[in-house]
Amino acid sequence: MLFNTWPFLIFLLVVLPVFFALGKTRLWPLWMLAASYFFYGWWNPYYLTLVLYTTTLVYFVVSLMDRCPEERQKTDVLARLTRLRFDDGVMKAAFVASALAVLGFAVVALAGPGTLRPMMVALGVIALLMATGALFSSRGVWLAVGAINTLAPLLFFKYARFVVENLNAVLSWLHVPAKLAEPATLMPFGFDYLLPIGISFFTFQSLSYIIDVYLGKAERERNFLRFANFVCFFPILMSGPIERAGHLLPQFRQFPAARLQNFTDGASLFLVGLFKKLVLANYLALYVDRVYENPQAFGAPALVLATVAFAWQLYFDFGGYTDMARGVAKLMGFDLVLNFNHPYLATGIGDFWRRWHISFSRWILDYIFMPLQMQWREWRALCTATALVVTFLVSGIWHGAAWTFVIWGALHGLGLALTYELERSAFYRKRVPKAVKQVCVFAFVCFTWIFFRANSLPDALMIVRRIFTAAWQDPQIPALMLASVALVWLYQCLFESKFRSVLQTRFVRVGLAVLMVLGLLLCSSGGGTFIYFQF
Amino acid sequence: MGTESPTSKPDAALNAETPFGSNEMRLDARQWLIVLAIVTVVMLLIPSLWGRIERFNPGPDYRIPYSLSKDYWLYGRRLYQVCDPNRVIMLGDSVVWGEYVLPDGTLSHFLNREAGEPNRFINAGVNGMFPLAMEGLLERYGQSLRQQRVILHCNVLWMTSPKTDLSADEEEPFNHSRLVPQFSPRIPCYRADANEQLSALVEQRVGFVSWVNHLQNVYFGQKGILNWTMENDGGSPPRCPNLWRNPLTQIKLVVPSGVRDDAKRGPKSPRHKPWSASGASKTRFDWVALESSLQWGAFQRLTGILRERGNDVLVVLGPFNEHLMTEESQRAYRKHRDGITAWLSQNQVPHLVPELLPSALYADASHPLTEGYELLAKRIYSDENFRKWLQRK
Repeated sequence: MLFNTWPFLIFLLVVLPVFFALGKTRLWPLWMLAASYFFYGWWNPYYLTLVLYTTTLVYFVVSLMDRCPEERQKTDVLARLTRLRFDDGVMKAAFVASALAVLGFAVVALAGPGTLRPMMVALGVIALLMATGALFSSRGVWLAVGAINTLAPLLFFKYARFVVENLNAVLSWLHVPAKLAEPATLMPFGFDYLLPIGISFFTFQSLSYIIDVYLGKAERERNFLRFANFVCFFPILMSGPIERAGHLLPQFRQFPAARLQNFTDGASLFLVGLFKKLVLANYLALYVDRVYENPQAFGAPALVLATVAFAWQLYFDFGGYTDMARGVAKLMGFDLVLNFNHPYLATGIGDFWRRWHISFSRWILDYIFMPLQMQWREWRALCTATALVVTFLVSGIWHGAAWTFVIWGALHGLGLALTYELERSAFYRKRVPKAVKQVCVFAFVCFTWIFFRANSLPDALMIVRRIFTAAWQDPQIPALMLASVALVWLYQCLFESKFRSVLQTRFVRVGLAVLMVLGLLLCSSGGGTFIYFQF
Repeated sequence: MGTESPTSKPDAALNAETPFGSNEMRLDARQWLIVLAIVTVVMLLIPSLWGRIERFNPGPDYRIPYSLSKDYWLYGRRLYQVCDPNRVIMLGDSVVWGEYVLPDGTLSHFLNREAGEPNRFINAGVNGMFPLAMEGLLERYGQSLRQQRVILHCNVLWMTSPKTDLSADEEEPFNHSRLVPQFSPRIPCYRADANEQLSALVEQRVGFVSWVNHLQNVYFGQKGILNWTMENDGGSPPRCPNLWRNPLTQIKLVVPSGVRDDAKRGPKSPRHKPWSASGASKTRFDWVALESSLQWGAFQRLTGILRERGNDVLVVLGPFNEHLMTEESQRAYRKHRDGITAWLSQNQVPHLVPELLPSALYADASHPLTEGYELLAKRIYSDENFRKWLQRK
């Protein structure tokens, strides 16, 4: 279900009143969970099993992790294996149950129908990991078990085809007469091999919870219902923002105060998001799609302008979604983190990542970059640079299983690594004019968006080549499109300047809101899904 | 839900008050009320004022141009304009509209000639219309059609197969899908998603949305305003003539009059020829039984809607081209025709079943050629029952 559709409006008109009506009972978390599952199941009810799987598994893994001692203790593994001598009865039960599950899955894999075999093997491996976790009763092992199990569906649905295709290409190049099976053939019950919407987001959120509990940054959530709401809270389920347990879970501990300001703030956020998506993003998409679907037919100015237009399209599309998500959550009384903060006014690449997809940037910073930096601290000068490149390579791969995303991530990693010291220098901070820095960063970011948007790597390289070699001819971009982007840019510049107070006047606020509503009524061009749903 | 330990406080960095957003569009309740008031006034006033500002001067024999057949707001305005107790409004699909003929070759034109009054019979047919859509059109956009004398044409073409009846199970795209019943009765071949169905309902019920659709149809080549700026001329390489044009200058406040000289229609067009001229053989139709026909059900409801509004309805059935049918199909057709007339008689709906036209005067299964309309008009006008209906008060 998309925020910008009529069914969502009806959904919200049912969910909100019941939610507030149940506020004084213990049923509101259950209602919220039912709403979230309905919201997700609207797209494909079968894939609800993945959400349920992740939720249940993470909940139990973290529960078991929490039972393990903080300090590492010596355990007699042999005694546990042979005589089932465990100090903790729960851990013993977990071990026995997991071991029995391994046996069960093995039997079905061997004797059951062939179509179920790959799934049984996968489940058997998971059960084996669980048994190992229980056997060693170690927080570290449970962390690994949780991480592997949480990531497994994401890796399978998002990357298996990419890996198999590339490996098969390598095998063919080496003239090896073997071919790996298509991942689609591993789907049970004849289900389609489709990337479940939002899988990256709920996986990352669950993963951050496991790691935070392991590191002691967050406390284990004992209430299953509350935890399930944290994993699949419907406003953030599809495309984030990626929330942390420390921020969202405490908000679920008591019913939020029903305040008029929550409604007006939520509606304000939603209106801005809806306008960004239906008017601005969809309009820019018309131009971007035309140029990027047939780049060889366009001259250099069109390719440059289409790339700039894509930069804004993506911002309006994803930023619009986030605004709507935050608006919906706010209507219910919950606060979600800010995810975009004028990224195209950034004065450095690092600054860009502090403004773009902030929740994701923080995630990779905390869970990839920092551990790597700690790990490689002996490399001194190279340490940060290498950690940045690796972190952004992972970020690229997270965005999609294609070489274009890998290059996009690598470019950002390299850009950050090369400008890390520069951005901290007094010269850069004090002597280089702000506008020059903003233009340079925007140009760099736009250059990397070419790889993000192009249909394939050869297309991306061709676009880069043509930007420098193709004729300068009429780019055929509508004046209205340029004016729209220029106005938004101007608004953002004003917002970050000393003239911000102009935007705070009642006249400007009301006037802009009226224009946005009328713009939606007069100019919105259809619905269309969100770009970040594919990630 | 229970009490929590002190360590369960939000993360310190994230706990700092979450910023509202990266803009100043944070309206309070009073500001929201002002916004809603302004938008409501604009939405209510503009469509009604527009009807007074925008020039729409249909001449004699006017019919809604084919390119504007999805401009339902204009259709409503046209009906409002022509409502007059002395006039007879002719409702129907492309048979009434005149698919193969020019405006001066339609049934309404020849009836006017018979009556000796240029504007007695009004062509309110819509090209591509069918009973399921006509029901929605008149229910939502034909509110002004009250206490009028109305001729409603019944075209049995829509019952000649499950596909034309829209009762086939396979998905089938069709015209005017935004007018058909979106949820009930269910149309099996209509597979629009819930959002599309709900937006069709909103368009039918919110006048402002229909008015926006009118602007798009009349001034922006049936495109959204933003899409219009990107419209290309179809050349090679394609050029976009509207890139630097101001969309507001497109709004000329004049509804274009109908095309008088349409190359695709009229005696000079290659399409204007008898159905048998292209060597077509006889056709066997897969008739849908009346009791299960969605289109017939819609026609019945449509008759009810018109009569409930105090209109004096006369149904004209056919004349369908029996020459084109196999004998078996002819028998089935007659059974349908008899069933329809029986229902009309039973419900005391005045009706006419004009005599079959000569084969050479049909362009296809249901559309007469210009001479066919002329003959049909003569026959209808000379029918005693018709004259009585026309003269009664």
